[in-house]
Amino acid sequence: MTTVITAAATVAAPADGPAAAVLLAGRASRECLAEARLSPDAVGLLINVGVYREHNTFEPAVAALVQKEAGINLDYLADPVPGAAFSFDLMNGACGVLNAVQVAQAMLATGSTERVLITAADVHPGGRAALDPHYPYADLGAALLLERSAGAEGGFGPVRTAGSTEPSAVAGYLPTAGMRAGGRSMITVRREAGFADQLLDLAAATAAEYARAEGLDLDRTLLVTSRPTADFAQRLAARLGLPASAALAPDAPGPGAGLPHTAAPILGYLEAVAEGLPAGVDQLLFVAAGAGPSAACVSYRPLDR
Amino acid sequence: MTSDARGSRFEALGAYLPPTILGTPDLVATVTGAPDVDLERITGVSRRRVYDKRPTAGEDSYGLALKAARDALDHSRYDAGDLDLVVSASITRYRDGDDFYFEPSFAGLLAKELGAHRAIHFDVSNACAGMMTGVQLLDRLIRAGIVRNGLVVSGEQATRVAETAAREISDSYDPQFASLSVGDSAVAVVLDRAVDEADRIHYVDLMTCSEYSHLCLGMPSDRTEGIALYTDNKQMHKEDRLRLWPAFHGDQLAKLGRSFTDEGFDYVVQHQVGTRFVDYVNRTGEREFATPMPESLSVVEEFGNTASTSHFLVLHRHLKAGTARRGARYLLVPAASGVVTGALSATITNLGV
Repeated sequence: MTTVITAAATVAAPADGPAAAVLLAGRASRECLAEARLSPDAVGLLINVGVYREHNTFEPAVAALVQKEAGINLDYLADPVPGAAFSFDLMNGACGVLNAVQVAQAMLATGSTERVLITAADVHPGGRAALDPHYPYADLGAALLLERSAGAEGGFGPVRTAGSTEPSAVAGYLPTAGMRAGGRSMITVRREAGFADQLLDLAAATAAEYARAEGLDLDRTLLVTSRPTADFAQRLAARLGLPASAALAPDAPGPGAGLPHTAAPILGYLEAVAEGLPAGVDQLLFVAAGAGPSAACVSYRPLDR
Repeated sequence: MTSDARGSRFEALGAYLPPTILGTPDLVATVTGAPDVDLERITGVSRRRVYDKRPTAGEDSYGLALKAARDALDHSRYDAGDLDLVVSASITRYRDGDDFYFEPSFAGLLAKELGAHRAIHFDVSNACAGMMTGVQLLDRLIRAGIVRNGLVVSGEQATRVAETAAREISDSYDPQFASLSVGDSAVAVVLDRAVDEADRIHYVDLMTCSEYSHLCLGMPSDRTEGIALYTDNKQMHKEDRLRLWPAFHGDQLAKLGRSFTDEGFDYVVQHQVGTRFVDYVNRTGEREFATPMPESLSVVEEFGNTASTSHFLVLHRHLKAGTARRGARYLLVPAASGVVTGALSATITNLGV
């Protein structure tokens, strides 16, 4: 049994109004379900991995609000569906999607659920990333629908994660002292000098170790990376002794949109498979690195290629 | 509902409670807009623990969690370096005093500080069901053979919302009224693979009914400086919401051809919202399952609603005091914003506390 991607979608922020993570993730969820021709009841678990959200909401889980938006398990008393869905937020910066893939593998392998929907939406708490020059990320949502595949071939490999003993050079927080009554629309993202090298060091070491441990031929692999800086994919490829064309880091849609954050792996996946994998490439290696510092890797072999 | 030989168990349980006690009359005295409210009669909470504001006390959410994690490891056969997974489940995410963190994950920072350098780490955020969510994920990761053990921890500086409520509410119907019943605390639990029937998590089944996800919202206040929790108590605690647990739990059991009575629970631990709430949920369970409820364990009078830590704080206090029997079967029932319900069934015998 392996875990495979059934559908994926990304949703850009509206051009003419404030963005909301709940709405972006909700729309991406519905697009995934439509692509897979499934009803909302087909989802047994929804994991939301977004970090930045409207109003800095900390309760309930954003996942519960996304679940409502997607019309999944609204009221068990009124409609007691057999696979009554559960949802929660999983937060680990840029690594969230890959951590959620690992959790999904456990949930699917133990028969806890038939399908897992991962959503990744980040928006500036004030609703418009472009209005805050110090905030580096794009307002963007994405969703990834996973399920079991009967075969032993294809799908995700094991997820491997890594931390570091170094202090994190990246952090995102709301300084509540001094926020007065404005805390719903403020956020501080601190990225210290050298943060890119810290993430590059950890990502390169984690990817190299993954390739070694899993016997991955990197010459037949397309790296799909998170995007903490614009040149991250090229620098990671160089560190691993690969040509720049061996790595892909997605752009957020729209001019001057900012960097894709937790949605990057889903955005990258869609970009990688849109035109078919390059000649001589038969698998992807997702590599994410972010605040912690924390890194994660997982291979993926598309079924129909 | 899964139940197989590769299940998990509670291996060690730790807690930390700030030493400062705030009595309900003293809290009510700070509620400028409603000084006469009989909070103790309405909630049953007579006192709660509150964090020490001094940075050296280390009682922000992160500091509380760190102390509970160390306590759990002190009672565990594992060292931090043995841990395969660290999950943090705090709703309140204060670190460095007044900074409310969104990244990096508390779990990663805790793993680093504890010395759990190999551990997979991530946070879960699921309101008052956060600890239960972390335990469910760890149980599944152990069952799937992905990890051998792990730590789930939560530190809650919950009285931050009480401070805002005390400044802002005007009467007992205010959406922030429930914030006055919270208390600060931290818990941590270590799970590993079950080796016998004496200690085993039989199942953890959770469900979110999202139609009601807007009934309890936490975010910074737009009136004064602080974080706030706005709860539609009337809708949140409506009978239909409370019937979700017996309906779901009963259906899960029916799939296995079992009934609530068959489970032979010795104790039930409800979410510690207030004494009336606990009684009400137990009465609902009694009616829906058509059987008396097992002995209900509680600590809400002494510690208030401690959010994500509540069920494990109840276990910790009662096991430590000897007021809950070892070798018994425990039922933990979450009730959280989302709304989340479900059931965790475990036999607890040798759990280190």
